[in-house]
Amino acid sequence: MKVKTIIDKNKDEEIIIYAHEKTSMIDEIESLVNSYSTQFIGYTDRVIRPLTLSEIYSFNVIDNKVYARLEKEVFLLKMRLYVIEDLIDNTFVKINQSCIVNIKKIKKFDSTFTGTLGVELKNGYKDYVSRRQMKVVKERIGI
Amino acid sequence: MNKYVKSYIFRGLTFAGFGPIICGIVFLILNFTIKDFKLNGVEVCLAIISTYILAFVQAGASVFNQIESWSIPKSLICHLGSIYLAYLLCYLVNRWIPFDIMVILIFTLIFIVTYFVIWIIVYLCTKKVSKKLNKKLKIDK
Repeated sequence: MKVKTIIDKNKDEEIIIYAHEKTSMIDEIESLVNSYSTQFIGYTDRVIRPLTLSEIYSFNVIDNKVYARLEKEVFLLKMRLYVIEDLIDNTFVKINQSCIVNIKKIKKFDSTFTGTLGVELKNGYKDYVSRRQMKVVKERIGI
Repeated sequence: MNKYVKSYIFRGLTFAGFGPIICGIVFLILNFTIKDFKLNGVEVCLAIISTYILAFVQAGASVFNQIESWSIPKSLICHLGSIYLAYLLCYLVNRWIPFDIMVILIFTLIFIVTYFVIWIIVYLCTKKVSKKLNKKLKIDK
């Protein structure tokens, strides 16, 4: 099996394996990659599982607890939001004091009746961009 | 305590202090522009408390927009209604307008027209920004 590494900062980081069949070596590679890309441990009443950044739609603070919202599930994270801010990459942006969203998971922006900018994610979650974060959001989206 | 109630109180308390500051500036302007402008201690105290409450209600009312289970008309009516009631009561208590039905009707009309003019301007500005952001999102996809 050949190995090729391409350094390109403009592309999403991903590893694709072309193989004739699934072997233990592929299992080990997958396991290794997953362990490196997993940065968060999510908790619910029933399960505890690792969460990868790419599957997280948003981080939300509710009653001083931080939750990670996925497409359908919500997991409690035993971390503070400011710690998460240091761990996430440029695909995430803080939209208000209690919410960080994955830019790739944004469905649309809309204006709300109080003049704030609303955000709707692809999983249906809605929140708003605070005036303080407006400039940062604009910059990160690229306008 | 409900998170929206908490948010209402937090926002209200954060911005309530601006009310008396604005009130002080208005009194200062009136002092320089109106001859023999005088206020007694009770009037000043009442004005400070009233403007504090006004700023509290106005800042807190913005939370109505974040209640996801409410429809836009319901949020709009609660936002407008709570601010209108706070303004009307403060104006009447401070005797900034007389307790006369015609005056109250004119006050109401001016208030509603002003509210919707400001609302439309702010809404259109935000709409413009959201259009730009959505356009950029589509390009990036």
